Amino acid sequence: MATSPAIEMQALEHRYNSDPVLRSIDLTIEHGEIFGFLGHNGAGKTTAVNILTTLITPTGGNARVCGFDVVRERAEVTRCIGYLPSEVRMYPHLTAVENLEFFARLSGVEQPRKAARDTLDYLECADLGDLRVGTFSSGMRQRVGIAQAILHQPRVLFLDEPTTGLDPMGVRQLRETILRLNADLQMTVFMNTHLLSEVAKVCTTIGVLSHGELIYKDSIEATVARFPDEATLEDIYARVDAATVGDLP
Amino acid sequence: MNSTSISRIRTLAAHEYRAAVRSRILLTLLGILAVATIASVYVASVAHRSQVADYRAYKDAASASGLDRIAPSNLAPMSLLRGAFEYLQIIGAVIAVSLGYLTVQRERTNRTLPLLRSRPVTAGEQATGGLLGAAALLATIVAITAITGVICIGVIGNDWVTPSELLQLALAYLVSIVYMTGFYALGVFCSVRSRHAVNGLIAALCVLVLFVLVTPQIGDTLDADNQIPGGLFKALGMNRADETTILNHFNVYETLRTRIEWISFSQHYQRFVFAMADVKERYRPLGLGGLMTKVWTDLAWVFAAPAALIALQRRAVRTQPTMQEGATS
Repeated sequence: MATSPAIEMQALEHRYNSDPVLRSIDLTIEHGEIFGFLGHNGAGKTTAVNILTTLITPTGGNARVCGFDVVRERAEVTRCIGYLPSEVRMYPHLTAVENLEFFARLSGVEQPRKAARDTLDYLECADLGDLRVGTFSSGMRQRVGIAQAILHQPRVLFLDEPTTGLDPMGVRQLRETILRLNADLQMTVFMNTHLLSEVAKVCTTIGVLSHGELIYKDSIEATVARFPDEATLEDIYARVDAATVGDLP
Repeated sequence: MNSTSISRIRTLAAHEYRAAVRSRILLTLLGILAVATIASVYVASVAHRSQVADYRAYKDAASASGLDRIAPSNLAPMSLLRGAFEYLQIIGAVIAVSLGYLTVQRERTNRTLPLLRSRPVTAGEQATGGLLGAAALLATIVAITAITGVICIGVIGNDWVTPSELLQLALAYLVSIVYMTGFYALGVFCSVRSRHAVNGLIAALCVLVLFVLVTPQIGDTLDADNQIPGGLFKALGMNRADETTILNHFNVYETLRTRIEWISFSQHYQRFVFAMADVKERYRPLGLGGLMTKVWTDLAWVFAAPAALIALQRRAVRTQPTMQEGATS
């Protein structure tokens, strides 16, 4: 399956009732990339992630993850992905390790308890292991949420607004974690985010979604070279978001 | 179904069981059931103890006076569990419906459904795991009720049930688990189908009241023979044949009344467990085989209704939207 792209969308569409949320998206992300999906609120980023993680069925087009169709080969897709929703809660009456052990069992991980503790160790938050998730701050929950997303060592990791609820140190730690996962495990990362400063530091490729249309996609280096007059990624994003596809250099 | 699927179902079932026993609402309901059951069996056992003592005194006196044929006791120790079964029928059903509601509400409140569904867990496995976990919890409740009841009868009532009676009781309690599991499925179905799970809980409780309390009551209230204490026909001094002749004139009415009563699977549950627990005197002389021929239709109803409710539950869980469509984009 190494020849298939990590993620592939072809004419992908989705409507809520009759309102189009995604309009004919064509996008390919290769293995090992860290992809930043940018767009204003309501642009359709979360819908795209929900489709790619098999949580909703697209109303048109098709999408493949690790070469598997997200509708027809749901089981295969879910075996190769990890997912962190934008506001992770988990089971408050269970400890972090118990939560992780439960999800590890469902993913078929051998020695689930050990995997849970090892993952917390890897994320440098082993001290949270025996505490109940119900007592956690949103930042602590987010870290355990990341642990549940990676404990089965998925090939593709989907992060939906992963910096939500994190303090600056948490954001920095998340950035380092993503880079480590990508370097150590060659994990492909698909990240929805608003934090452009983080995108510049972490992502290898970006895509910009506006009103359900993919209006831009390129590597970070190429993007910076393409907009030599703009000082920051934020400036570039503002220009891309305001332009139509034909207006871009 | 392969071994990994079975392993996931087992994990989901254990998770359901564990989460349920940590619910305060559920523990409160279980406490009410336990207190009501123990009080009912205790009071019945105290009265039974004196009846047993009277019979033994009579037996000793009869033996001493040289009688070689002593009338057997017509005491039925299992019938002391009548109240316990009635509580399972009503409070047990409420517990099961609440358990179903809590299953749905927990995933919604914790927003864990997307985490479950983004793993190799099918909706069928999720439904089966939840059902088995709930059934295991209901079985625990029923087992505690049964063991407490039987020990109460033996220790306080001074009358231990025999092995063959124990077999009948085991059947009655097994059917109780099936009956309550049906109500769990109803709770899940209604909660999943409602945008706000609590509305589903209310709907499920309305259905419960209809089938457990209203329908059987309508059937009873409309029975001509129930219009005066002791029975109308008995009071008029009529025999069975005359009674049947009179009732034949009200055939449509009687059919309607019977049908109303029959649609309540709760009523069928009651008939079955009462027959098994010797509550109905006319069934007492029958062995297990004889009993089964009398109450097999009730048993069929008690299995058919939960089977239908479980099918609805599975369908509801399968078609349950993982994400609230349109909530985020």
